[in-house]
Amino acid sequence: MAEDTQEPLAGAGALREALRALLPPTKEELALELGENVERSVVQLLQEAAELFCGGCRSECLQASEAILDYSWERLNTGPWRDVHKDWRRVYAFGCLLKAVCLCEEPGDTTAVAAALKVCDMGLLMGAAILGDILIKVAAILQAHLRSGKRPGPAQEPPSMKKARYDPVLVPDMTSERTVPRLHCPSLEHFRKYFLVPGRPVILEGVADQWPCMKRWSLEYIQEIAGCRTVPVEVGSRYTDEEWSQTLMTVNEFISRHIRSEPKDVGYLAQHQLFDQIPELRQDISIPDYCCLGDGAEEEITINAWFGPQGTVSPLHQDPQQNFLVQVMGRKYIRLYSPQESEALYPHETHLLHNTSQVDVENPDLDKFPRFAEAPSLSCILSPGEILFIPLQYWHYVRALDLSFSVSFWWS
Amino acid sequence: MAEERRGSWFGFGFCGFGQAPGSGRGRQVLSPEPLQTPGSGADVRRVSASWSYTALVTRGGQVRLSGAAGGAAGGCSDAWASETLLVVLRAGPGRGAGPELQAWAPASAMRGEPLWARALGPEAEAEDAARGEPPAGALPLLPLLPGARAYVSPRPPFCRALAPELRARRLELGAEHALLLDEAGQARTAGPRESGGRAGAEAAGGAAGPPRGGGGRRRLALGVCERDWGYLYLGLERIRAAGPALQEPGRGYKDDSEGSGLNEDGSEVKRTARGEDGAPAPFIAIQPFPALLDLPLGADAVKASCGSRHTAVVTGTGELYTWGWGKYGQLGHKDTTSLDRPCRVEYFVDKQLQVRAVSCGPWNTYVYAVEKEGS
Repeated sequence: MAEDTQEPLAGAGALREALRALLPPTKEELALELGENVERSVVQLLQEAAELFCGGCRSECLQASEAILDYSWERLNTGPWRDVHKDWRRVYAFGCLLKAVCLCEEPGDTTAVAAALKVCDMGLLMGAAILGDILIKVAAILQAHLRSGKRPGPAQEPPSMKKARYDPVLVPDMTSERTVPRLHCPSLEHFRKYFLVPGRPVILEGVADQWPCMKRWSLEYIQEIAGCRTVPVEVGSRYTDEEWSQTLMTVNEFISRHIRSEPKDVGYLAQHQLFDQIPELRQDISIPDYCCLGDGAEEEITINAWFGPQGTVSPLHQDPQQNFLVQVMGRKYIRLYSPQESEALYPHETHLLHNTSQVDVENPDLDKFPRFAEAPSLSCILSPGEILFIPLQYWHYVRALDLSFSVSFWWS
Repeated sequence: MAEERRGSWFGFGFCGFGQAPGSGRGRQVLSPEPLQTPGSGADVRRVSASWSYTALVTRGGQVRLSGAAGGAAGGCSDAWASETLLVVLRAGPGRGAGPELQAWAPASAMRGEPLWARALGPEAEAEDAARGEPPAGALPLLPLLPGARAYVSPRPPFCRALAPELRARRLELGAEHALLLDEAGQARTAGPRESGGRAGAEAAGGAAGPPRGGGGRRRLALGVCERDWGYLYLGLERIRAAGPALQEPGRGYKDDSEGSGLNEDGSEVKRTARGEDGAPAPFIAIQPFPALLDLPLGADAVKASCGSRHTAVVTGTGELYTWGWGKYGQLGHKDTTSLDRPCRVEYFVDKQLQVRAVSCGPWNTYVYAVEKEGS
């Protein structure tokens, strides 16, 4: 690899320049506005770290950043997440920023840059936005640097072609089920009057089928754009199980561990705002026009990614907002129950799971949950290019029939 | 005891703010170092360490601060350091007046006026005398106040009364929990359930057991401490020490997740979590009930103290064992490895020192040791 020895040095220099250009040049600007929740000692340490950074003292800055990260990490892990003050998440993000940039200061190899990207992702996942969303910009630069160094690998076969992974898919027999109505490009007014206002599910065709993601997204594309990015993954067959847990891994690790090979357990990249983390993917999707019928602003719409192998299950549950579920890759079997049927769905009594039914929709225990059998429902198989409108509080159960990628839009 | 005059304090772990023993040198000290104190080291009777500074209380009644907060003041019998408040017990203004509780902003170096002050009244001392306790201040007990009827908290309300029927001997505060050891040897906790610390309350009562036959009270007040996510460590006289080997609990990453470490029935949940740098965390378990602690070679714990993620234990034979998070050298084993098992700190064995007491800050450890007799 003799011809490569020149490149990393030049590349590293360009990387350093690009990162330096992003950060404010003076320690006064490399600062956060923090309230009373953050103690004076922490503020002092943040100032010291910024000063060390601007003064070019890389290893001392790294040490200070580590202490900032360790201390704010403890705050992030104290008490319920919703009670963690945003300022602590901003402190954490600041520590990630300095650490990531310091890691790239040396003419390093790709491992240093990959480590820096991991740190950025931790700041994005656990931290809060600082300095004009600087972590997103830093991550984009690091990612671009990693991709330019990579040689494109041989195109991998889609898993369905591998003999070892062949699974006869349990496509449900829907002959006895009422299906969700379908409309082709209804007008805003028609959708509002007949579905949004009365709270009725409908599948919209011809609305999302031309989005760039429909043609562009594949395992190879996702790995290329997002492979080295760290994401949260749910492990376990469903979130009501005892063994269910959440963990972090890169998209590459997720795909190799839970999609390509014989997975030891089910992994699901679920309910993650991937498009905030990776703006490049955001360009492949649009916000359905029908969202303008709501009261909220566009910035308030939550866009989640749902990416996983065949067989992932979301137990029957309800959400507090309107939902457009856009199917991009693979098919999903979805069963829907009106909020009026809630009692027949036996929701859990605990606060944590109050929005989730105790019933296993495709294998219900009718001795334990007798009324479930009589509750009316709608069902469908959602295919690529289609959008399912799930009204506010409408109960829904989802099972992936294939390797699947869906995008959901929660709006009000 | 004459032996005690030969003792001195040692420190190791994080000193990124220049607190003892770092003296501004580096961010961590990996092996015990004697604390540099003017006069003899035996002068210090208590160490209370917060994250960014450490308070030393001398027998002469001086409180000395080092680290992000500096300065010194006299007339103090006890001190308790937290990031937001430095709480000291000072002798009352006049004869017969009880001690005064003062809370200072750490950065004030105890100059000017305290944030607030409260006379505790002579009743506090009378209570202690009635229980056979030495006069207030002879025994450092903060955050438990003299009289053991109330304790001080870093968050308002700053003085909190204990239920009248509780006869508290020791009290320690975590980030969200309080852990109390009463005179009967029962441990009680208060605080939110989610992190597992609270659930230990009933079990801890059982673990303590009734006093053994024979007159008099047992020596029970040993190490009771608990911090942050409910490291429930309880040391009992020679019977058993209960404590978990814990590390970072898992988190829910979703905004609406409660991130509970406990299942509904209180059973343990194992979660795979990542450390703060995204690498796999070394140990990932939450233990909601006190568990028996096995010290090597059948050693028995008589005192204990916890940092935010590590634990230190003193045995009856004068050895120090530490385990938990080691990144800042707070375990004192000359490196930064984290351990899930108690390991002896060899420094004190090598130097023929008998460890008598330990006090942990969030990321560091302070140890009081005396030279072995006849050495």
